[in-house]
Amino acid sequence: MVLPILLTMGGLVFYPLLSTAWDSLHRVNPMQAGTPFVGISNYTRVFSDVEVGQAWLNTFKYVVIAVFAETVLGVLAASLINQLKSGRQWVLAAVVLPWALPGVVSGVIWQWIYSPGPGLLNGLLVMIGLDYEGHLWFNDSTSAMLAVSVVHIWRMLPLTIVIVLAAMQSIPGDLYEAARIDGASRLVMFRNITLPLTRGAIAVAMTNATVSAFNLFDEAIVLARNSLETRPILLQIYLEAFKKLNFSYGMALSLMVTFISLAISLGYVLRIHRSTRLD
Amino acid sequence: MRLPKPNLILAFSVVLMATTSGIALADDAKPFAGQTVSVLLPSPQDANMAADFENATGIKLDLQTASWDDVSVKISTALLAGTAPADVTEFDWSWTGQFAAADWYTPLNDTVDAATLDDIKGSTIFNVNGKVLAIPYTNDFRVMLVNKKQFADAGVTVMPRTLDELVAAAKAVKAKGIVKYPIGLPLSATEGASTSWYLLTKAFGGDLFDKDMKPLFTAPDSAGYKAMAFEMMLLKEGLVDPASTGLKDSEINETLFAKGLTSIMISGEPGRLGAYNDPAQSVVAGQVQAIPVATESGKTRSFGLLEGLGIPRNAQNPEAAKEFIKWMTSKDYQIHNYANGVLPTRTSALAELQQQGKLVSGEALVEQAPTVEALFPSGAPAWYPQFSLAVNTSINSAAKGEITVEQAVQRIAEAAAEAVKQ
Amino acid sequence: MKEPRHIRLGIWAGVALLLAWSLLPIYWTLASSVTPTVEFNARPLHLFPEHPTGEHYLRLLGVLDGHMGGVDVAGEFRLALFNSILTSSAATVLCVLMSLLAAYAFARLNFPGRQVLFYAVVGTMAVPGYAVLIPLFRLMVSLRQIDAYLGVTLIYVSAFLPLCLWLLKGVMDTLPQSLEEAARMDGASHMRILFSIIAPIAAPGLTAAAILTFLGAWGQYVVPLVFSPKNTKPLTVLIPEFAGKNFVDYGLIMAGGSIAIAVPCLLVIFLNRYLISGLLAGSTK
Repeated sequence: MVLPILLTMGGLVFYPLLSTAWDSLHRVNPMQAGTPFVGISNYTRVFSDVEVGQAWLNTFKYVVIAVFAETVLGVLAASLINQLKSGRQWVLAAVVLPWALPGVVSGVIWQWIYSPGPGLLNGLLVMIGLDYEGHLWFNDSTSAMLAVSVVHIWRMLPLTIVIVLAAMQSIPGDLYEAARIDGASRLVMFRNITLPLTRGAIAVAMTNATVSAFNLFDEAIVLARNSLETRPILLQIYLEAFKKLNFSYGMALSLMVTFISLAISLGYVLRIHRSTRLD
Repeated sequence: MRLPKPNLILAFSVVLMATTSGIALADDAKPFAGQTVSVLLPSPQDANMAADFENATGIKLDLQTASWDDVSVKISTALLAGTAPADVTEFDWSWTGQFAAADWYTPLNDTVDAATLDDIKGSTIFNVNGKVLAIPYTNDFRVMLVNKKQFADAGVTVMPRTLDELVAAAKAVKAKGIVKYPIGLPLSATEGASTSWYLLTKAFGGDLFDKDMKPLFTAPDSAGYKAMAFEMMLLKEGLVDPASTGLKDSEINETLFAKGLTSIMISGEPGRLGAYNDPAQSVVAGQVQAIPVATESGKTRSFGLLEGLGIPRNAQNPEAAKEFIKWMTSKDYQIHNYANGVLPTRTSALAELQQQGKLVSGEALVEQAPTVEALFPSGAPAWYPQFSLAVNTSINSAAKGEITVEQAVQRIAEAAAEAVKQ
Repeated sequence: MKEPRHIRLGIWAGVALLLAWSLLPIYWTLASSVTPTVEFNARPLHLFPEHPTGEHYLRLLGVLDGHMGGVDVAGEFRLALFNSILTSSAATVLCVLMSLLAAYAFARLNFPGRQVLFYAVVGTMAVPGYAVLIPLFRLMVSLRQIDAYLGVTLIYVSAFLPLCLWLLKGVMDTLPQSLEEAARMDGASHMRILFSIIAPIAAPGLTAAAILTFLGAWGQYVVPLVFSPKNTKPLTVLIPEFAGKNFVDYGLIMAGGSIAIAVPCLLVIFLNRYLISGLLAGSTK
């Protein structure tokens, strides 16, 4: 009964994973004969490669922006929805919607919103009297990074909301009741009850946010093509492998991304775990 | 404008027709009648191609078409996979080095005769170590496209021959408020940004590499450096739309030039003129024409981005495939196919179209044709895709003001060195 | 106990903002898809299309001439829609079936290496897909599965199996064994027990797993970009291409986008309960 799953996973995940690790220590390029052993040179090359360095930097920026925004906005939005007495289900369905859409299609939708001529964003800004007619959001590295991040946040925020909201809903109501009798304000209750009791869920949400920000690809390629200023590491890997045909270099990069994103996620979990234990 | 001046015809005949020999399209025997050949080409192609080919040779044609990008992906994935994408496929000039290094295509030296190779001058760029890997079928060399009505409205009557005159014309158009951004120039991280820079490098009288593949574009007085500085100047002067940092060449062609929103395409494709001058599909019909590439010195230069036909190593029916290539690159078919926006690669076919007065902007094309050079005289190197990516990425960054021209050329040179090393 | 008015107002204002943020881009897509091309550049902006038209949809579906720049857009779109539906559905069925079998085995049977295998499979959830992209490409090349339905479907299945397995094993662990014991006494086979007793009770869990897999497969981009270049190309690969070929037609892009998001939208609207439970089970690893 477990045979089908083991065959599929073995053939399509474990075998390729080992193969990635093995090949990243060799030179694999369909344009060149042979696959000589090159040690860790595919890994050390990263440090002298300007494009790859820039792509790493961009990815770290995306991670910081996305995780911060998704956590703060997600906790806020979840507590808002948690206050609703009626219609909570419908609000939740509407909020989840962006997450369910294909990433590239979100990219295309936002590309249209950002477009200088007929775009919604410039149109709205002009409508409220600002001089944004024909403004180009992608001609400045900061605003381009932010524009790509906004689309990613739009898509991934729902996941944080759902996770945090579920944790909030499981907090027993009498805790708040007791606090209210003690005369605690909403803010105090949020800080002393809600936050500590949803900490675990927030850590889980942050882990998800981190991993998905490391995986950012669709939004960037649709909105800004190969532009170096917004190019995340995954797009760099794609270009290395399928444009430049440096297979083994691409593999070394993808393993590095895997380890770093796992390490960072683990970091949150441990940290949150420790601080909850102290409480 | 319709009829070329006699002296031009004369010059043209001397330069181009000297090499022409009669193209006898096979004999009447149809040795492969009843067989089928599969062909993979970018769309669009002639709607009646299959019927015409079967009439001529008796061979059934299984034609698959897709956009150039799709065809490119399909061919490279199939070849990496060790299968033949079709019996005959598109073979772009830029793939030459990669495909030759991987030995994916059958040499066509025996397929076509010497006279044909001589008539199709561009075939040399598909010649790697004496092996002709593909026969060019479409002649995409670059010219400049201009909107002469907008020029006339701005008081520009003499077509620019130098880059200074070009800039002056653009400024005149802008000053009159005819269009906001008179020059169309892709600056996005896509292939079109690379090819425009190559063309301007030629226009500044230089080349990209020397014989030993050492970059020639890093010194501030080099043509490549000046070409990039020129692009940034056009952007800063407001002659190029700042949104070009996000636009491909095809988008600038279709959404700006073909809509009358820009007056000059720096790196223009002559094949598109037919469609632009067709009132049924274009709002600028009758307004646009080609001019020889304006250069710093006034002596025009250009380069070819030829697309050829090749036969993959493990094609199922290579003999019928050869027949198809002979047929599609024949003089008669090239003359016929011009109506579909495919500019002939045979100088004899070009000459005949010009004599019949059918060539749109014939004069300019006739003047440009003999000046067409190969970007890489010994064929595109295997590392071309990697080099080109560095070129357009750096141009894109420079256009957004993230890096200086000096840093951009430096990055390109580094990428080229890295690419050559491998 | 009544809440003060200003707090209720504040909450509703916040919720309104949240809804606008989530829904405005989607609304704008739909509105643009029925806006005539000539009105795209109208200023001031029209938040509601003034002269709604179905033209873009008709061209996309081939009712009006769907040829653009020599490309048969309508034909390509139909094929891509078919491909998206086919590969997503096939992946969903296979994935749910395989993980149901495996979840039962991991939850009910005793065999050596049970724990290790389970965690090894589930652990791959943390491995980003692109870490295996290149070897996978070479594997599919050698199996002649580039641009083939089977190849790309199996890749989707392998991507979503761990999540489904985790989810369904969780469901089975909560089901009381007593239900099956009677059947087992009667000599019913494992398969019989699984499909006639457990599957019906685990239906909500199965639904959640199916929705997550379907949505995931429907939204894939990198995988089909590499593995489905042409004949098996899905909507997600086709739609961005509309913007970059020989033509740029935003009406068409928005109409295509609206169709591509309609399917996930319907799933969310009608099956949100299962989706949320699945998301929670899946994310709290």
